[in-house]
Amino acid sequence: SIMSYNGGVVIAMKGKGCVAIAADRRLGVRGHTVAMDFQKIFEMGPHLYVGLPGLATDTITVAQRLKFRLNMYELRENRRITPKTFASVVANLLYERRFGPYFVEPVIAGIDTKTGEPYICNTDLIGCLNEPDDFVVSGTCVEQAFGMCEALWEPDLEPLDLFETISQALVNAFDRDAMSGWGAVVHVIEKDKVTVRTVKTRMD
Amino acid sequence: MLDLRVLEPCSLQSSLAACADSQVLGTAPPTFKLPAVADLDGFQKAAVQMVKPAKGTTTLAFVFKHGVIVAADSRASMGNYISSQTVKKILEINRYLLGTMAGGAADCQFWQRNLGTRCRLHELANKRRISVAGASKLLANTLYSYRGMGLSMGTMIAGWDESGPGLYYVDSEGGRVEGKRFSVGSGSTYAYGVLDTGFRFDMTVDEAVELARRAIYHATFRDGASGGVASVYYVGPQGFKKMSGDDVGELHYKYYPVPEATVEAEMEDVTTS
Repeated sequence: SIMSYNGGVVIAMKGKGCVAIAADRRLGVRGHTVAMDFQKIFEMGPHLYVGLPGLATDTITVAQRLKFRLNMYELRENRRITPKTFASVVANLLYERRFGPYFVEPVIAGIDTKTGEPYICNTDLIGCLNEPDDFVVSGTCVEQAFGMCEALWEPDLEPLDLFETISQALVNAFDRDAMSGWGAVVHVIEKDKVTVRTVKTRMD
Repeated sequence: MLDLRVLEPCSLQSSLAACADSQVLGTAPPTFKLPAVADLDGFQKAAVQMVKPAKGTTTLAFVFKHGVIVAADSRASMGNYISSQTVKKILEINRYLLGTMAGGAADCQFWQRNLGTRCRLHELANKRRISVAGASKLLANTLYSYRGMGLSMGTMIAGWDESGPGLYYVDSEGGRVEGKRFSVGSGSTYAYGVLDTGFRFDMTVDEAVELARRAIYHATFRDGASGGVASVYYVGPQGFKKMSGDDVGELHYKYYPVPEATVEAEMEDVTTS
């Protein structure tokens, strides 16, 4: 299956005035693990991040194409993009390739700098937006990730608690997946700062 | 002749078409009912495809000066899903014979237990322990008779008999080869790299155990379908002994510890009196 060729998983969660987005770090070729430092989460603005699990080549290409569209937006509008608008840019980019799609299922997490409102959403590979209030997951172990998130998430978590919750959800989900893992990176985005942490995980 | 049919489990009693004596002695292979379905060939094909796991595992065994080392990981995967991290892949056939599991877990467990039964019957009939060559031949012949029916096994039979250490590789295609060093499963290529580099025939037992542990660890590190616990067994003249069972998650940080990040000293105000 193309979506599980390289492996990988991304989760994003909403907290109280903050969002967190986390991903594993593996790049594999079917069973063979090639890299343990593959970046799947990309910064699109000071408080806006997109995670791109799926086929690794499309991860890189879509990240680059999105950055280009974002830069053009900022040049024309002379302001930073809001997360909601950015989600529409992502959906549009994906639907343009409706009959030959990019094999990524993006996860977007950010804070609207004007209102301080946290925002998360994910899309399928052809751009259908899904904007829930709690958490979003995408990748090769979605079933495991959904189970972990459903069990651990609660509303209005403070940033440090949110970090704990999303880390545990991610790590325990990908410990049950042969195609993801080998390290984890977690970004916690608050109104005034972003904290990036790597998590010590099983390396098997 | 004693009538031992009372000892048979009920499923074996159902087919008395086979020779009555061999049924009673338990030396005949177990009989399996075929499904009562219109298109048997199509059904068999679908069943073979369903049970066909891609031997996602790493097992290895090698002969050295003091005996045989057998090692394996403990992960079971169904496609991408890790169904268990605590599978016993080294099966104790009897006190001086070990078998490894790769391929279908149920197939390996059942047929190696069956092998244990037949080895015991051999002992009772011949008043001496069966050789490793004989035990592996028994298993290979059984698997050959089920060739093409979808069994999936890549197992190594290791043990110590009167002629010293013995190691055979037996698989579900009916193959059986004797050898001094084997690794089986999706992680075998990674294990071979470490094993072949570090191997010396005159290692001590501890060195051999550490080599096997390292080889399994490196396979779990690179292979997605291997992981969990690295178990290492040693088979010597007194029989087998489990030498270690280490979680490979912890082994990673033991072999490659994360260096402590140096913390810059904070600038402090110096009080002046």
